[in-house]
Amino acid sequence: MFKLLKNLIKDPMFVIGVVLFFGTIVAALIGPYIYTAAEEGLSYESPSSSYWLGTDNLGQDYVALLLQGLRNSLYVGFMAGIIATTVGTLVGLFGGFKGGIIDDILNMFTNLFIVIPSFVVLVLVSASWPEGRSLTLIAVLIGLTTWPWTARSVRAQAASLRSRDHISLARINGATNLQIIFKHILPYLASYVFMVFIMQVASGILSESAISMIGLGPIGEGSTSLGVILNTAKNNSAITYGYWWGIFPASIVITMIVFALYLLNNSMEGVFNPRLRK
Amino acid sequence: MSHILEVKDLSLHYLTRFGQKVSAVTDVSFTMKQGEILGIAGESGCGKSTLVNGLMGLFIPPLYPTGGDVLVSGESLMNRTPQDIRKNILSQKVSMIPQGAFNALNPTRKIKDIAADVMAAHSASQGKNISKHDIYKRLKDRFDLFGMETEHILNSFPIQLTAGERQRSVIGISTLLNPKVVIADEPTSALDVTTQKVVIKMIFDLLEKNIFSTMIFITHELPLLRHVAHNIAIMYAGEFVEYGTAVQVVHDPRHPYTKALMGAMLSADSEQKNRKPTTIEGAPPSLAKKIEGCRFADRCPSARPECKKNTQNLKTVGGRLVRCDYAE
Amino acid sequence: MLKKYPTTRYVLLRAIWYFLTFLVALALNFFLPRLGSDPVDIMMAQSSFSSPEIRKQTEENLRKDFGLLQISDNGEIVRDDNGKALAASKASQLVNYISQVFHGDLGTSFKNQKPVSQIIIQALPWTIALQLPAIIFGWILGNGLGALAAYRRGVFDKVIFPLALLMSSIPFFVFGMVLVYFFGIVWEIFPAVGAYDINLTPSFSIDFLVSAAYHYILPFFSIFLILAGGQAIGMRSMGIYELGTDYIKYAKWLGLKETRVLAYLFRNAMLPQLTGLALSIGQMVGGALITEMIFSYPGLGMAMLTAIQTNDYPVIQGVTLLITSSVLLANFTVDILIALLDPRVKQSLAMDAN
Repeated sequence: MFKLLKNLIKDPMFVIGVVLFFGTIVAALIGPYIYTAAEEGLSYESPSSSYWLGTDNLGQDYVALLLQGLRNSLYVGFMAGIIATTVGTLVGLFGGFKGGIIDDILNMFTNLFIVIPSFVVLVLVSASWPEGRSLTLIAVLIGLTTWPWTARSVRAQAASLRSRDHISLARINGATNLQIIFKHILPYLASYVFMVFIMQVASGILSESAISMIGLGPIGEGSTSLGVILNTAKNNSAITYGYWWGIFPASIVITMIVFALYLLNNSMEGVFNPRLRK
Repeated sequence: MSHILEVKDLSLHYLTRFGQKVSAVTDVSFTMKQGEILGIAGESGCGKSTLVNGLMGLFIPPLYPTGGDVLVSGESLMNRTPQDIRKNILSQKVSMIPQGAFNALNPTRKIKDIAADVMAAHSASQGKNISKHDIYKRLKDRFDLFGMETEHILNSFPIQLTAGERQRSVIGISTLLNPKVVIADEPTSALDVTTQKVVIKMIFDLLEKNIFSTMIFITHELPLLRHVAHNIAIMYAGEFVEYGTAVQVVHDPRHPYTKALMGAMLSADSEQKNRKPTTIEGAPPSLAKKIEGCRFADRCPSARPECKKNTQNLKTVGGRLVRCDYAE
Repeated sequence: MLKKYPTTRYVLLRAIWYFLTFLVALALNFFLPRLGSDPVDIMMAQSSFSSPEIRKQTEENLRKDFGLLQISDNGEIVRDDNGKALAASKASQLVNYISQVFHGDLGTSFKNQKPVSQIIIQALPWTIALQLPAIIFGWILGNGLGALAAYRRGVFDKVIFPLALLMSSIPFFVFGMVLVYFFGIVWEIFPAVGAYDINLTPSFSIDFLVSAAYHYILPFFSIFLILAGGQAIGMRSMGIYELGTDYIKYAKWLGLKETRVLAYLFRNAMLPQLTGLALSIGQMVGGALITEMIFSYPGLGMAMLTAIQTNDYPVIQGVTLLITSSVLLANFTVDILIALLDPRVKQSLAMDAN
């Protein structure tokens, strides 16, 4: 296991991914404490020494906005990721391991949900429930509609592990099902589940920015997100007037986070899945 | 009499990512004449696969030739570009029947199309622009020789065939262009005994009909080689340690490693039935470093202190070549 | 009876399955908006009326249109003893909705009283004209590059891979905004808004077609390039895996031409890629629609955006239903394609049937 980790660290993709991602997390966590927002200024002032990234349509300091948006977007991503991974892993593990009719039922269930577009659910609920539009609701909705991906992957792994020799050996030695799951299957799956989790977080961040972009994002004091920032910019014709600071910083941050997560996922895949090694 | 295959002091090495030179094959020499079957046996990691690549001229990084020569019908395989090897040598002069042959067939392509691909790839020597109809006829004529249900096999996808049918299809495809040398890598390993017999028979048929001229049969099953091969070479840590006729090597092994291998065999032979199989302790040496003395010394039951100091060369003992100063 | 034709049997079973899923999607499409507040209440709160009677009448009509009231067989509103209109049960509302959909009736837009189906039919061609080529060509380019990168490795791979990964990290609409900013505003090479010049009317004239082409470029590339990046990454992984398989090694040993080996690779890696495409079509279409919004492209994206901004629920519902339906259709198509193209699937179907 540690040998694999050592190989990971040697991979430049992994290092860049970790640095980028932890950079954004640190910025999100510490940022609001070390950076005090400048006083409100004029609408859409261009970047200057007093406003490093200029101001938005309400004259608010963009750096502060960005930090807050970053926090909230990360929050949604992680929440959605945790929910999707938990539900998906349980469903996949149970079905893949037990097999038989339980597997068939869970499989049918998964296949049903996987074709229902997450985007559609988000639009329908958000559009008709404006008061309920919080970061948490959006995260929950994303999580509850994207778990089938995790379920599918986990199930495939669990099913292939079920018939492996050391599992049969454990059974012969009298281990209970629960023990088998935790001591023998979970360690193998752990790396796999972690990789899926990372992808779910990335997908959560992207989904949230998408739904915010069409104006169905979170409402409420202090719930601005990177997507909301972009939506506001578009609504105020920031592009047309050339207010690039309304668009690019948020865009770059979203891309950077997702890119970092993809790098992490890819480098881990290279290490944990030996068939992909050169 | 001219040899179909001549291998002279062939040495091959790998270059690791860190520039380290790992010797995989050292000074292998042998010749083969028309109609000869040579068996090569040895543990995994002894260099068989690397040798095979060398015999096909596939010196693809990180594999490099260190020295020596390989001549097929007098033509050297050394110092040629990969394109040259692909166009002129592969499938036509030297061909391979891979291990696990039933996975070797493209699952989404019919047998006849795979075979046609082989012909098209070497069309320069086949005469370009043969019509599809003619190609099919050629294939049918060839596969008819094998006594299989040609129509069914040619028009099927691999998944629709039995393991034996797939194995024989691979043999048919590999020998389509009448190569001089065919290398069969464990062709019978994963088959049941009845199918094994059918495959062996097919090989002999092809040889008899001169579809190919010589065969190198690689396996770890020595008793099988006894029935199939004319000569056998035992390979260990990149070298031939014993090389003689099949009868000599199997019934009267002289090298300690060969003896140990025979001891480790389970055999239905009546002479061997009451013998208990033995194991060989340890593992082959790492070839990254230069090794002093005999490479088998660490695991040899009859090793002496001198073995680790003196390099062992092939000597003639009992009518065959043995790489051991103390063999008799 | 159908055991003799396993593929047909499979197609039929899948069709039934997708139909059932469609019904579930319909139910979701119906119930999800009703989780929140009553849309009619929202609408009423936004409007003012000259008298209470007009208010009551308007509200009743809205409720009737929205299927919320019990309707007798001759189309009259059923009332209780006090003359108050009776609300229909959720179940009957659902049944009503489903039957309406199957009759092609997607409701009426709150905003301008036009039938939703009409709005959709007007916007649909623009969306299809933009998205379909972008998805198809993006798939082709992406998978082609990915396969080459897997096969060649080396410098080609070292350049393509990070680039493609970066592209796939950018949301469609973000890239759209970037393109508009540089090519539309700063350098003014391409138009930033709309599908055609506002002074022209849609026709087959040269002027119009040229204008439409100009307006097409930026939105098309926003979707096309990002999609290609994502596909390239997937195909590259798939390709690397396939390259390690026995049949590719054998193909090389046989001395098959490089193009032929690549064709083998592509043909086999394509199948799981198609499945992946079908599954992610929901996300893709959503993102592409948002891209349309960035460019104010008169497709379904704009229709939905306007509907969201004006709380025009029937239109929102209509568009989401369309999205879900196309996702189901795409998945169904891919399921059939794979069954036809992959002999291994055909074989296992035949074996299952026996």
